[in-house]
Amino acid sequence: MIHSFNRRTLLKAGAAAGATMALPDFLGRTAQAQAAGLNVFSPLPPDPAPPGAAKFSEEAFAKWQADNGATVAYETLAWPQLHDRMATAFASGAAPWDITYNCGWVPEFESFLSPYADTLPKALVDDLPASSFATTTVGGKRYGTVFTLSLLTLFYNKELLEQAGFKEAPKTWDEMKACAKEMTRDGRFGFVLNYGDPAGIGGTASYWMVFLQQAGGKLYGEDGLPSFKSDEGVAALQMIVDLMPSTDPGSISYAGINDATNVLLAGRAGMMMNWPFMWNAANDPKQSQIVGKMTSAILPAGPKGSASIDGTDAWTIVKSSKNQDKAQKLIEFYLDAEVQKRQVLDTGWLPIRLSVLGDPEVQAKAPNAAVVLEQAKHPYDSFVTADYNQVTVAIGTEVQQALQGSKTAAQAIADAHEAVTAIVKRRG
Amino acid sequence: MISTFEQRRRRTGLFFVAPALIVLAAILFYPIVDSILLALQRVQLAGGAVTQQWTGFGNFERLFADAVFWKAARNTAYFSVMEVVLVTFLSLGVALLLNHSFGRSGFFRILLIVPWALAPVANAVLWKWILNANYGVLNGMLKSLGVIENNQVWLGTPFSALNFLLIVDVWKSVPFVALLMLAGLQRVPQSLYRAAYMDGAGPWRSFLHVTLPTMRGVIAIAIVLQTIWSLRVFDLVFVLTRGGPADATVLLNFLAYRVTFNFLDLGYGAAIANIIFALTFLLAAAYVWLLWPREPKGAR
Repeated sequence: MIHSFNRRTLLKAGAAAGATMALPDFLGRTAQAQAAGLNVFSPLPPDPAPPGAAKFSEEAFAKWQADNGATVAYETLAWPQLHDRMATAFASGAAPWDITYNCGWVPEFESFLSPYADTLPKALVDDLPASSFATTTVGGKRYGTVFTLSLLTLFYNKELLEQAGFKEAPKTWDEMKACAKEMTRDGRFGFVLNYGDPAGIGGTASYWMVFLQQAGGKLYGEDGLPSFKSDEGVAALQMIVDLMPSTDPGSISYAGINDATNVLLAGRAGMMMNWPFMWNAANDPKQSQIVGKMTSAILPAGPKGSASIDGTDAWTIVKSSKNQDKAQKLIEFYLDAEVQKRQVLDTGWLPIRLSVLGDPEVQAKAPNAAVVLEQAKHPYDSFVTADYNQVTVAIGTEVQQALQGSKTAAQAIADAHEAVTAIVKRRG
Repeated sequence: MISTFEQRRRRTGLFFVAPALIVLAAILFYPIVDSILLALQRVQLAGGAVTQQWTGFGNFERLFADAVFWKAARNTAYFSVMEVVLVTFLSLGVALLLNHSFGRSGFFRILLIVPWALAPVANAVLWKWILNANYGVLNGMLKSLGVIENNQVWLGTPFSALNFLLIVDVWKSVPFVALLMLAGLQRVPQSLYRAAYMDGAGPWRSFLHVTLPTMRGVIAIAIVLQTIWSLRVFDLVFVLTRGGPADATVLLNFLAYRVTFNFLDLGYGAAIANIIFALTFLLAAAYVWLLWPREPKGAR
């Protein structure tokens, strides 16, 4: 039948083959359309990440996907790049996610987010600290749910502390200065922190805010204008300046918390303020040379007592998501008691649920949980606003100048106050 | 109207070039125009969208009153001038060594190209560890040689931080410019050296009166290219210092990024970016002018 191989037959055969090849793809797409695909934007571990992105509750996560007919895809980035990636995506109108991580940026991105947290189950909300919604609430609406109790506390090397002649962690500013001074010996320093990057939570300005609250000050007054050109503002900065002779001089160049953490874990510094994840890292022989020597305590009290700042790590839902309900269900899964428990046991990031924080197994594995809970009884405002990055760069840059001795604490605070006032007025 | 063969040839040429011109317009012309328009507006993320409000030259007026902008401009000017001077002299020196009979081995050329071949961010991370105040190789080496007693915080003071950024960028830039100059050196006719030798010129006078004048074009191109590249430095600042300490290492390019993506002040960020664009455009025009084919003097 040689005559059947003419041009028309070949075209027909080609069309049939093409249709056959396209068929499985078509069927596949139909099948995928039935399962909701959720895209989640998350930090890379060791920063706080959800099951599937971090190694915990993986079986429960797979089961949740199967039970809910959903497939979850993660886009993970190193923490310092998260904000800019989100800003670019939102500005271009092409944010591809259903759920995003947020860290003090809720006021900034509020108009791109859904106020889903107003409809969370009552049982869940009742098990969360009411204050945890402070940084995710804008205009009375709750746009996010904090998933880890992440306050700065004091971490210290008890062996170095004892060698310096102290039996317990410093409780006041004066004790802290004395302790840091005594620990500064033999090539080691009493204190270390990352003062290199002025911006954001965990930047230079935010550390000054810790001391500001300990001194009894606030960043903004009732009128919304800056109110830190005060004795408290200057005292807070002076405290950091006074600590500098006992602080690892490299601190001014460390741009990220990991740079400073490495110094503490190598036993080259005695104390630092850090987030709860530090506990697991300090007791992991692969990362730490001070296993078993690390202890934590609440931050030393200033004139008005102890105070801290909140990491504000929260899950938010993007307004443009077509899977709002399923996205909320996934966040509720992230906040499930058992998942929260595995979060702390396997990654070191504390849960936010009060019932899990009180769990004896959690308290045994993460003794710092009790310290963080104690710290939470004191003020911990991060003063987030829509222009938080700009404000913190303005303040942090002045703090850096004071730390280098090119300005006095009073001059730096006055200049920072002027710069932040201009920013707030421009905001309108 | 009857068209000539030349007119038809030009029209056909234009027809064939049109797709490329359209692509170029889409990826070059449109973003440039859009960026200029953005610089004339106040742009905010609000109501789930980008809102734009015309401000005329408001963003540019704001620039002139912004102390951080002027600090970044001074830093950039210092960085660019020093980088061009250092890269030009070092590259010329390296090219002369490579052109010498001892340096003609391919091994040296491969070794030279390594810093240039490194990815910019990888290069910055590498130097971040070299300069680390606690564990850095630089501190370790200098201490073992007895040059310093205690570890130094190389990125800890404004002067030191800016100059270390400069050194790192010079280290990365020298290889390419050196190869450019080596190519220029190899084009110098040997007959000129022989003539100079016959006239009694020593190596220094030969270099001054034969090598340098012959390489004037190559050196000018290297200077213009290096100036353009120095205006574009971003990765080093982002990885090594984030502009600190106290804005001492904020260069214009980094400031444009910070204002645009950290502060979400898109219009103002575009205004800063346009200043950099204008500078780069002028330099690129100088580059094209230098490369433009000319008839030799006296030619008819």
